Amino acid sequence: MIRLENVTKTYKGGVTALSGVSIHIPKGELVFLVGPSGSGKSTLLRLLLREELADGGTVWVGGKDLSSMGKWKVPQLRRSMGCVFQDFRLLPNKTAHENVAFALEVIGRPRHVVAAQVPQVLELVGLGGKAHRRPHELSGGEQQRVAIARAFVNRPLVLLADEPTGNLDPDTSRGIMKLLERINRTGTTVLMATHDATIVDAMRRRVVELDHGRVTRDEYRGVYSYGA
Amino acid sequence: MGISVQYTVRQTMSNLWRNRLMTIAATLTVAVSLSLVGAAILLQQGVSRAAGVWKGGVQLIVFMQPQASQADTAATASLLASDSMVRSSRYVNQQQSYVEFKNLFAGQKDLISAVTPADLPPSFRVTLRTAKDAGAVGARLGGRPGVKKVAYNQAGIRAMLKVTGALQDVIVGLAVVLLVSASVLILNTIRMAIFGRRREVAVMKLVGASNWFIRVPFMMEGLVQGLLGGALAAIVLVGVRSGVQSLVARFQVNALNAVVVPGHEALLTQLLLLLIGSVVGAAGSALAVHRFLDV
Ligand SMILES: Nc1ncnc2c1ncn2[C@@H]1O[C@H](COP(=O)(O)OP(=O)(O)OP(=O)(O)O)[C@@H](O)[C@H]1O
Ligand SMILES: [Mg+2]
Repeated sequence: MIRLENVTKTYKGGVTALSGVSIHIPKGELVFLVGPSGSGKSTLLRLLLREELADGGTVWVGGKDLSSMGKWKVPQLRRSMGCVFQDFRLLPNKTAHENVAFALEVIGRPRHVVAAQVPQVLELVGLGGKAHRRPHELSGGEQQRVAIARAFVNRPLVLLADEPTGNLDPDTSRGIMKLLERINRTGTTVLMATHDATIVDAMRRRVVELDHGRVTRDEYRGVYSYGA
Repeated sequence: MGISVQYTVRQTMSNLWRNRLMTIAATLTVAVSLSLVGAAILLQQGVSRAAGVWKGGVQLIVFMQPQASQADTAATASLLASDSMVRSSRYVNQQQSYVEFKNLFAGQKDLISAVTPADLPPSFRVTLRTAKDAGAVGARLGGRPGVKKVAYNQAGIRAMLKVTGALQDVIVGLAVVLLVSASVLILNTIRMAIFGRRREVAVMKLVGASNWFIRVPFMMEGLVQGLLGGALAAIVLVGVRSGVQSLVARFQVNALNAVVVPGHEALLTQLLLLLIGSVVGAAGSALAVHRFLDV
């Protein structure tokens, strides 16, 4: 589903965020991306979303080579991916329902599809009763659930999460993780960058560790830090 | 996947409403500049109709009798051709005169219906090598067989053409400056609209909205501003035209009748204003979308 081969990314200004990164993630896996701050985790996710282009190596998502993909095809690519962030990125003047519906409306989904799918996905993330609240009327954990609902409503093949629990307390984080795991069980490939050792250690799933832009560890049933 | 018309309209309207002060400023600037453009065009049309026979540097008109014989006409023509003071001359027959007349008094149907080509004199339109010879050439032709009358281009008409020419240059220059500032204003409104919607735009990009889907509402916003400005200017033009009409009527200045541009010509000018307005709006917003909307 996701494959990187010898990928290098150097930002303007000369910072090398990734160098010689090769990772293969088959369909349906749940993978934690760990590593110290500045090790290149977010950069890797941005390459997968094609917000940035690799300047060496090749990135494939769903069998498509992103470096040779025309710019006009990028929207289509992103429709097959969902994405959540530490800061939720919800629209403050829209309700939970409207935030999720927006993601479908702007890719031209017909009204009846929107009307049917939004309540369903809000129910799935456990917010069925709070659909008409705006972000500021929701807790952080609830806001992240809305964001996950928005990322998942279009049934993406891949869900990318960049420190989704970074702003949340341990209990809430566990809830969010449970939700992501549930989404993973539907067959969605999940790649999650995180600093949350408790969660990674509790889950014992595949862990890929980056350090200074290189893969220093890639193991199944891994923990947050090697040798811990 | 087509862009939903309903979505675009809703989004455009809401953008316009959010930035209403800027929208008003941009629209009014377009309106003022296009009103000037329109006024300049009306002036041009009116004056060139009124002074039509004197256009192209014609300094002397030799009117023949409507019933002048072919021989008389030919004699006058060869006299003009051999006159060393004459640069050129052009014969205008009765049918051509009639067309000219109809055009000149397009606003007055009664006048036109009372006249037939046979009533109108054919004439020679004469351009001289130097203007001061007008009297001498005129004297030589006046009273010859078949010649009815020699008319001179009075200083008044020459001055009018000159002044309106200069006035037009000023108006058009001013209008161009204003149009440029109007497109900059529109560009800025769109930039603010993009900034005001940056979160939405970011989410749209993230979930895979197509580039045109993101762009079109902003482009429409600029287009609407330009079009509104053009429409206002078109309305102003109606006022200007009827103002001139009532002035001419009030003071019974018959000579100025021809200054009133007929409705269909004014309509063409109004359409032109709408077109320029849309172009200015589209250009401003296209530039803003290109510069500030990174999709
Ligand atoms: N847009 C950018 N322009 C230039 N340099 C950048 C840019 N984004 C990131 N970097 C640099 O690239 C390196 C990797 O950054 P990245 O954001 O991928 O790290 P990270 O692993 O996500 O860190 P964190 O855990 O703190 O989120 C850092 O040195 C960072 O300063
Ligand atoms: Mg990061």
